[in-house]
Amino acid sequence: MRYRALNDIKVVDLTQYIAGPYATKLLAEFGANVIKVEPPAGEGGRRVGPFRPDTPAADRGALFAFLNTNKLGVTLDLKHPRGRALMRALIGEADLLVENFAPGTLARLGLEPSELLEAFPRLSIVSISNFGQDGAERGGLLNDLTLFARGGWTFPVGERDRAPLTPPGSLAQYVGGLYGAVGAMQAILARDLTAHRGQHVDISLLEATVATMIYETVAFQYNGILRERAGRRFAVGPFLIVTLECRDGYAGLQCVTDKQFEGLCNLMERPELRTDERFSSALKRMVNNDALLEIVAAFFLEHDRKWLYREGQARAIPIVPIPSVAEVLEWEQTRARGYFETIDDPALGPIRIPGAPLRLHSHRAEATRPAPRLGEHNREVLGARLGVGAHELKSLADAGVIAEA
Amino acid sequence: MGTVFDKKIRVLDLSMGWAGPLAGQMLAEMGAEVIKVEDTHYFDWWRGSLSMGPPEAQPIERAATFNTANRGKLGVTLDLLNPRGIELVKRIVAHADILIENYSPGVMERFGLTYEILAPINPRLIMISMPSFGYGGPETFSRGYGNTVEAMAGVTGLARYHDSRQPYTLSNALGDPVGGLTGTFGILAAIYEREKTGRGQWIELAQVEGVIPLLAGQILEYQVTGKVPAPRGNRHPDFAPHGIFRCAGGEADAWIALAAHREDQWRGLARALGIEHLASDPRFLAAASRKANEDALDAAIGAALAAISADDAVARLSAAGVYAAPVNSAPAVLGDSQLQERGYFVPIERAVVGTHLYPGAVARMSATPAAQEAPAPLLGEHNGAVFRGLLEMTDAEIAELEAAGVIGTAPRTYRKAS
Repeated sequence: MRYRALNDIKVVDLTQYIAGPYATKLLAEFGANVIKVEPPAGEGGRRVGPFRPDTPAADRGALFAFLNTNKLGVTLDLKHPRGRALMRALIGEADLLVENFAPGTLARLGLEPSELLEAFPRLSIVSISNFGQDGAERGGLLNDLTLFARGGWTFPVGERDRAPLTPPGSLAQYVGGLYGAVGAMQAILARDLTAHRGQHVDISLLEATVATMIYETVAFQYNGILRERAGRRFAVGPFLIVTLECRDGYAGLQCVTDKQFEGLCNLMERPELRTDERFSSALKRMVNNDALLEIVAAFFLEHDRKWLYREGQARAIPIVPIPSVAEVLEWEQTRARGYFETIDDPALGPIRIPGAPLRLHSHRAEATRPAPRLGEHNREVLGARLGVGAHELKSLADAGVIAEA
Repeated sequence: MGTVFDKKIRVLDLSMGWAGPLAGQMLAEMGAEVIKVEDTHYFDWWRGSLSMGPPEAQPIERAATFNTANRGKLGVTLDLLNPRGIELVKRIVAHADILIENYSPGVMERFGLTYEILAPINPRLIMISMPSFGYGGPETFSRGYGNTVEAMAGVTGLARYHDSRQPYTLSNALGDPVGGLTGTFGILAAIYEREKTGRGQWIELAQVEGVIPLLAGQILEYQVTGKVPAPRGNRHPDFAPHGIFRCAGGEADAWIALAAHREDQWRGLARALGIEHLASDPRFLAAASRKANEDALDAAIGAALAAISADDAVARLSAAGVYAAPVNSAPAVLGDSQLQERGYFVPIERAVVGTHLYPGAVARMSATPAAQEAPAPLLGEHNGAVFRGLLEMTDAEIAELEAAGVIGTAPRTYRKAS
């Protein structure tokens, strides 16, 4: 979707791969005018899968097609003086410059942040990096596996007799992108409401990952208890939060309150468990958690996950039929709400992408614009907006400063 | 230097748990005045249970989760099942810019606190509702929590070891922090829009819809290949080694994560761990053969790491340009040198529990740094300040409300609100 709440915010987007592009995607989805500036060969994210097997020559993979919707696409070689001059002209008109290079890269490209903020008082710069703009490890390497591990998400997950289990995919990169989008809006609102000038916003992916732990860092200081791997249980405690095998797959159960325990006993047609000496209080259910889990696990194994979901919800117990991503795509709830949106991507054809993460009700959203082809908006942005003539555009293309697919 | 909002924005936070309170806490960091309202009977469930300790120990003031997610807020109590309590909510709404709620659909309707009712009181009000599955659709009234929202988005189903069907819930109830962050972004966008139009609005955040985009890669992989993405555990579909290994360290549960994607990283890894002979072993010579012989490769790396401490291994591998990190427990995160150097954790003193380190604001703002000194409120701690200061009540009126049980600082026994 494309809302218009932010439609007079101008963003120059120098981001790549996931975290930065997700931040600017959110800004674009809510109306900001986002100009994505790529090197003439395209940003690295274009070459990341998944790819359609039948479109090997496409200028993008499917993830790029999702992460860069609603943006305008321009190519500029920032190592070339003419590319740099045009970049500076774009930045001079912008409210935001968003980037996720390694710290120090902007300065090497002649775009020193403090100098830009001095020259353009309305501009703010959002920098997303692995470890932040300062500190001994600011240039350090990270991938999804090591980010989750160092940021504390991995340690408490998995079986006691196996290695900790990493979370799937690139979730923490997206979390960093969310913090980037929030930081960008903070800078805009501070400029307009209080500070009356732009500023530099420094986002560390490691800190974003630590911030979204469930606060075990604080709990450990309070009580000295180390949260460890608890197998299929979320954690050890006066509750039963667990993933269980059922007749046709797996289901998740969240039983925390006395009410939910009562509902669970009724669902299992075991009302006597409510008064069973072992389970009659939250504290006792913690002490006798294994015995309780054994009873519940045996019950789940005899039932289908959708039946468990329906019957659980009918008793206000949050049970879920752990779906695959294919089932999420076909889920009646997402269909009824029109959540997934079909876009006609110029390289991939019709494809269903996740919709906006929230809905504004002040106005009707428009349809999403597909991600730009390489250099698709060179003429529109460099020509119409910066006044670069047709002759000069050709000379820039001949010199390799710009490129189009 | 001031903050983003310098108290120019006032937030009424009716939310509980994590997702809604996180949005309120982030706005407090930005310098908004955040008034958290709790029901005296049905206080925030993240405070835990009264049964967890004797009354004099104040068990509901000792929850690390609540005390972290509600920092910087003013704490007010109101009986929301009493019409006089609802009337007081409306009086605060008249002075508020933002209202945050994350009740199940139907509860705010029963309270008589829908956007349609509140907007005429304050047309500039921005109200955000954060139901699990959204208003509309067959699951509107289904119950969800951070963990179950995470599952319904497809995350849990992908969290399995590569050789097992058992799924695992992530460690952080992912739906909650993602809901809080997404909601915060929506609130800031609506504030920006209001600066132009002068009007507030209702924001609808179906928490599951905020999490699904984080799996865009897997959802698109399914569409373009026709295959449901296979859970990968700690492994990578193309590269090896890519995994989590136990290191030397006696009783300690010491693990590191490491990955080598490129040839130079693989050779660097072999040198760093003193297993150079493996780099010329035909089974591990090319990327494809390393992947094909991953079990043997992992066993060899595991054997080498069993004699090296985690710190030493990470230092050697990092120096060799290999992806490497300790698998940090909570105390290890607190001790992380880069986080310490950047002063990420901030000390905050709070009544009942004392001084501890709390995770700081993620966005480091050069001109408007975060306000992060104030602790989470005690139950009803700021009743006087808000009712006297904001609503201009007299001491006699406040005493009468207390006597009538509409406000209070002592927790009452649980009563079901929905």
